[in-house]
This record gives sequence, structure tokens and C-alpha cells, in this order.
Amino acid sequence: MIAFVSFPVPSVNTEAYAVARHHLDVEEDALMDLDDEVEASGSNLKLTCPGESLTSAQAFMRGHGTYVDNEEVISSLAGTVERVNKLVTVKAIRTRYNPEVGDLVVGRITEVQPRRWKVDANSRQDAVLMLSSVNLPGGVQRRKLESDELQMRNFFEEGDLLVAEVQAFFSDGAMSLHTRSLKYGKLRNGQLVTIPPILVRRLKSHFISLPCGVDLILGLNGYIWVSKHVKESEQEGEEGFDAEAVYSNRNDEIDSATRIAISRVTNIIRVLAAHFVPLTDVLLLESYEWAIEQEGEPMDLLHDDVGEALVHAITRG
Amino acid sequence: MASRIEILNDGGFRSDGRRQYELRDITIDLSQQGHADGSAIITHGLTQVLVSVFGPREAKQRRETIHDRANINVEVNIAAFSTGERRKRSRGDKRISELASTIKSTFEPVILTSIYPRSQIDIFVQVLQQDGGLLQACINCTTLALANAGIPLLDFVCAITGGVHSTSPVLDLTTLEENDIPHVTVAMMPRTGKVTLVTMETRLHADRFEEIFRLAIDAGKVIHKEMKSAVRHRTDALVTAMGSGSRFAVSGEMAEEQMKDY
Amino acid sequence: MRPPSPSIPEREFLLKALEQSLRLDGRAPLQSRTPTLTFGPELGWVECALGKTRVLAYVSAKIVKPTPERPFEGTITIHSEISPMASREYEVGRPSDEEVTITRMLDKVLRRSDAVDKESLCILAGERVWALRLTIHCLADAGNMLDCACLAGVVALKHFRRPEVEVIGDEVIVHAPTERAPVPLSIHHSPFCFTFAFFAPSPSSQSVPITILDPVHLEQRLSNGSISIALNAQREICVLQKLGGVPLGAEEVVGVVQVAVGKAKEMERLVESALKEDWEGRKGGVEVR
Repeated sequence: MIAFVSFPVPSVNTEAYAVARHHLDVEEDALMDLDDEVEASGSNLKLTCPGESLTSAQAFMRGHGTYVDNEEVISSLAGTVERVNKLVTVKAIRTRYNPEVGDLVVGRITEVQPRRWKVDANSRQDAVLMLSSVNLPGGVQRRKLESDELQMRNFFEEGDLLVAEVQAFFSDGAMSLHTRSLKYGKLRNGQLVTIPPILVRRLKSHFISLPCGVDLILGLNGYIWVSKHVKESEQEGEEGFDAEAVYSNRNDEIDSATRIAISRVTNIIRVLAAHFVPLTDVLLLESYEWAIEQEGEPMDLLHDDVGEALVHAITRG
Repeated sequence: MASRIEILNDGGFRSDGRRQYELRDITIDLSQQGHADGSAIITHGLTQVLVSVFGPREAKQRRETIHDRANINVEVNIAAFSTGERRKRSRGDKRISELASTIKSTFEPVILTSIYPRSQIDIFVQVLQQDGGLLQACINCTTLALANAGIPLLDFVCAITGGVHSTSPVLDLTTLEENDIPHVTVAMMPRTGKVTLVTMETRLHADRFEEIFRLAIDAGKVIHKEMKSAVRHRTDALVTAMGSGSRFAVSGEMAEEQMKDY
Repeated sequence: MRPPSPSIPEREFLLKALEQSLRLDGRAPLQSRTPTLTFGPELGWVECALGKTRVLAYVSAKIVKPTPERPFEGTITIHSEISPMASREYEVGRPSDEEVTITRMLDKVLRRSDAVDKESLCILAGERVWALRLTIHCLADAGNMLDCACLAGVVALKHFRRPEVEVIGDEVIVHAPTERAPVPLSIHHSPFCFTFAFFAPSPSSQSVPITILDPVHLEQRLSNGSISIALNAQREICVLQKLGGVPLGAEEVVGVVQVAVGKAKEMERLVESALKEDWEGRKGGVEVR
């Protein structure tokens, strides 16, 4: 009864993900029966959309991203379906960070409250960092005094960036952080890049040192800190480690070669994120080498064609 | 209701050359817009709407938090250049606040808000072009943006306008048609076929209403197909892009050993 | 400040009762409160009470120059005022979503549905037209203020009489009510508004939502959505509005429309008899038509 005509416009956009409809190679798929389960090309993941029935609720258990109605498990998200034994979950591709205990995150102080800081960590609510879960300058372990409570802004103030670990999260989705390790604390000597959290894969270590004199902290919440390399001898616990500098607000001397390296790495991350490529250390390293070979300025990477060439080179190469 | 233009001519064509039940061309763009968690642009013929969704995130004002579910905040902005007559609407405009509260109450029961207590979901609607079916485009676009932002929804919400010209129903009206004939906007959820929103502002006989109402529900399913395929292909493209880097993900652990050498 | 939501025992009690088709005030689910119409001394002064909800509507008219775009039409403006006096939920200053909905709905029901023939308000084309002003004061809100305000507005328009005017050449003569009997407005149709509230069934039972007509305040606060239908006795729907809320099947919507059709006829009879009664009482005073 209903006639429906859409006039396909030839797409000029070459980024496969940018235009969902009327893309040249997508057009053919659109003609296929859409009710069939579309298998993601190149992988065996099953895709789903909100409101799509996945399976019967009697035989399976509903996990995250699903709900039960009329004895059917129904997806509530657009993403990939995962099944572990009888548990069916749907994982959204683009979403905010969902905390898990032990995750390493990079965050930004939004508010100083009595005995706690509020930290924006790209999650559904601001995280809590208690005064009791930070290391104070001086003795590593000592009681928190009232004087510490009064000078909380000397440790972290609004706008400071820090790296921390997820200590716990509560039933309402809020999480608490801690910085009780010398690896954690205030961030200096670098810059922040934000990417979708799903692109940060869980690695053995999220502190990465690239040979070009750049350190990376890959926060699982999608916040990435790119900074100047800290020499082995000055790392925490070593001799050259300056305990007083933990809460310092001053940057160290950074030479221009390092500055260029930092911006190059930052731009590489931006390009990869724009092309939705998950980050790994090896990938970054190869990209960096590729970028050096091209002999361009770090800024050139942000041109569409250079970025595409980069992604093409490292994903196919 | 004497009209100067012919809504439906003898050959069964409408003023823009469409048939009675023919919908306008739909284009959906789900690409990333700025820093939004999810965004979408939908075009129904000459009507174009952009929606950006932020959240769930910490509420800006603490008094707005709700202890057992997320608060939904909708802001609508109609571009001054969106109509033929350039006109700036103030933020306090009744029509705009009605539109915003309509969108809010349409999506409140559809978003699974209880998963995100004390959080806030911000929906920003920007109307870029208007040519009829404004509410329809706003609702469809919001659905897409929410799905794109990974916010759990019970189902898609698909909206469509319908009108009645003397006794013949027509679908997906342009401004020209909206000004002349009674029109109904219906938003439905395709899985159950239930309606979340019905609005009508012009006089229409109850029997005629029933006819166009049922027709609009059928048409909603067609819109759903379009929206679903757009979301599907966006998901597919992202999953494919992520897979392309997997060569390195597998070798990640091994690489770490190599890194130590540096 | 957000007013506190109803307490849990209140909610439980109301929902349990509704499951057995019982309402707190003893009405049947689809029974509305009978409106009480009180007419003031002046024509076009109506107070409408729906239970404890009370709305005052007053119509006045003056002669103005028409807008150049519509030289043959008179104008109607609606001023609705929802003051904190009606209920503690209303605030002075920025109107809440609910207030915007009521104001917009009043505008659609009373003005945009073409209830009053605007062309008949023209005295001298392009020179002189009647400008009607309908003021609606919400005195108390005990639920379903929209229906009450719409009813008050429609009845006020039907009750109102404008002075007779005579045009001789370019001269307009307005006759005092004592001189010549004032004339009623030419009204195309009288739309009545009905609001239904829905309560989502408990998730366990696979039944349809519970529907009630004319919700009181508590029911309104606890409901999971509502639908407002404005229609006249000739089965013409003027405004139909269901903004979000619990999703309904097509049959449920159509069913609700059918109920409203029946109620509109009843309401028309009730309003006509009330108006007639008022005219009877006015005989002897100023002559009215």
C-alpha cells in the first residue's frame, strides 16, 4: 500500500563510516532483505539494533544492553551481540566509559568538596577521589591531618589532570578512584587526547614509553596523556625521584624535539581515532615510524589525505 | 478550507509530484559531530534536523538529579534561516518549549533511564531547514542520535505525519500541504506497533482520523526500516574499522616484550 | 523547587484500587466529574467547577482596527493565568512544561479550531473589527485543569453577547445594551476537551493499560501518560494530543476517541441546558437574544 522511493545520491565521502545511507557499497546491501541477520563484514560478530528480538528468555539469561518483554530477550542498544554460555549481552560501539575495578583512568578534577574531589572521567557520573585514597607528599603512608583537609587545593585543584585507578563502583554507577601508588597522581609535561573508550584495549600495562622520548598513559576511559619521557633513574622509588614534585604544577624543561614528538604522537592518535582504529603500542610505533618517513610536520597528519594514507599503510601493511 | 493550490490533482499527484502514500526522500547521516556522544542528521525532503546527544553525564545542576533514574533535558533551537521568512525565535517561545517538552515526554518512557540514576542525558535539537513534518523529523533524529550514543532504548521511535485531503489520506506532508489540510503526527514503536505520540491540531471527523491514524502506523514501519538500516550500517562500518587494527591487537603481548629492549 | 512526589503508601493504595477498577472518589473509570457552571452578573462571565478544580473565564470585546493582512477578520486573544494560587506546583516566572501545555492547548482548542466565526466579527472591512479578549483565571487546581479551563472558555464565548452595531455609510454606531438587545457571537461549533490518564499495567500481567477519564490531582501525578481530545458533538476532533507517556495500541487510541465522542454529546446537552436556565433567570432584566 505504501510506496517508498529514495533517490540514492552518489557519495563523495570516502570515509566508510561517515555516511550510513546512500554510500556506494552500502547501496547494494540495502537492497538485500534487511530482516536477515547482517553479519559484520570481515568478522563473525552479530550486529543488532534497539528493539530487536535476540532469543527466548526461557532458554537464556539477559545481560547488559538487553531487556525482557513477553518472554523474549530484546536488545536495547545498537552494537554487537555477545554470548557467554546462557548469558546474552549487547555491547554498544560508541558509549561512555563503564568502570571496572582496577581500571586505569585519566581524569580531571571538577570540584573540591569536603574530604573528597570530584573527577570527570568520561563516565555517567563524576568519580569520587577521597582524601584518604591519595598519597600525600612527604611520608608515603601517614595519617591525614585536619591541616591536609584545609589545604586540599594544594594537592589537586579544579582543572588538574590526574591518573588514577578505579577502586570501586557503586550500584548507581558512580565510581571511586585511588592514587595510592607512586605511578599515579598529577599529570604534567604533556597534553591530553580524548578518544572513544572502546578504542583503548585492555593491555598488560597502560604506561607506554615510545622510543621517541614520549610517554603515554592510555586511560581506559578514553582519555590519553601524552607526555615527555621520564628517565628511568628519576622514576618513582629510584634515586633521582623527587617526592615533593608529585603535586607540582610546574612543567619541566622540554626541548623542542620532544615537543614535536609529543604533538606528532597526539596527532597520530587523533587520526587513528577518527578512523576508529583501536590503539595498541605496536600500532602507535608503526604509525610514528611511518610519519617520520613521510618527513612532514606533525600538523600535516591532520590533513584528510595524509591521515587516510597513514591508516591505509598501517592496517594493510 | 478553500485552497489556491491543488493538493491532489486528478492524475493522483501531489504538488511536488509525489503519489498519495509516497514518502519523501530520507537521508541519514550518523557521523561524529564535534564532541557529542552521539549525533545524527536526518533529512525528510527539505526538512533537515541535527540532534546531538550528550550523556549520560553528571548533571550540571545538582537539583535536577533524580535519585532513581536519569534526568532528560531537551533543548530545541530553530535556525532563523530555516524557513522562507527569516525570523529569530527567542528561547522562551511557547512553540519551542512545547516542542522540547513533547520530545522529552516522548523519550522518557523509551529510554531505559533507571540504568543511570542521578545522571543527566542532554538532547540538543537544531532545526536546520523546515518544510513540513518538523516534529516527525525531530523525533526520528533524536531516536537515531540516542542509538548512536549507545543509550539503551526500548525500541526505535518512528514518527510520520499524515493528512486528509477531502476524503483521501496523504502521507509525509510538506509545509504547503500542512497549511491547507488537517494533519496528524504519529510516533510509533515498531516492535509492538504501539503509539507513543499522537497530535492533531485541526478539525477532522473522528472516522477520518481513524483511517489516517492506522495508515500512519503502517508508514512508521517503512521509516523504521530506513532508520534501522542506517544504524546497522554505521555499526557495521565501525566494527569493520575496529577489526582492521586487530592484526596488532593479537600481537600486542609479544610486542610488549620487544618494547622492553628500547 | 520540585514539589514532593506522592508518598509510597498513597501510590500503592491508588494503584491497587485502580486494578480493581475503583477510584478514590468513588467514580467509575470512565466517569467524569459533573461540571458546575456559575454565571456572573455580566454576560460572558463564567465560573466552571470540576470537583474542586475551579476556573474563571471572562470575555470582553472592544473595537479596533484590523491587521492589514486580515482586513475582514476580527481577533481573539486568550490570556491564561496560572498563578501559584491554584496549586503549589505553579511558580511565578518561567512557566513549567505543564503550564506551557495547558496554555498551548487552550489556544488550539478555543482559537485555532475556528470555534468562533472571525469574519462575523468584522464591522467595516479594513477599518473596524471586534477584538475579543478571553481571560482565563485558574483559581484552584485539583486535577484536570485543562478540561475545566477549556469548558469555561467555550461556555464563556457562548454566554457572551456583544453590543449591536449599525453601519451607516462610514459611520459606526454602537447601541447600548439598554437600547437594543446585544447579539450573541456566531459560533461554528463548540469543542469540549476530555483528558484520559493511563496507568501502565504491572509488568507481570500482560494486560492493557488502565484508562481513566478526568483524573484528579493525585491520579494525574501518578499516571504514566495522558491523552487529551477536544471534539464537538458533531464527531469532529479538533485537537488530539498524546505527548509521550505509556505506549498505546491503535485499538486503545481509537477506543478512547469513541468514548470521547459520546461524552461530547452529553456535555453539549449539559451546557445548553445550563445556558438556557441562565437566560430564564435573566428575563426581566436586560433583554437578551
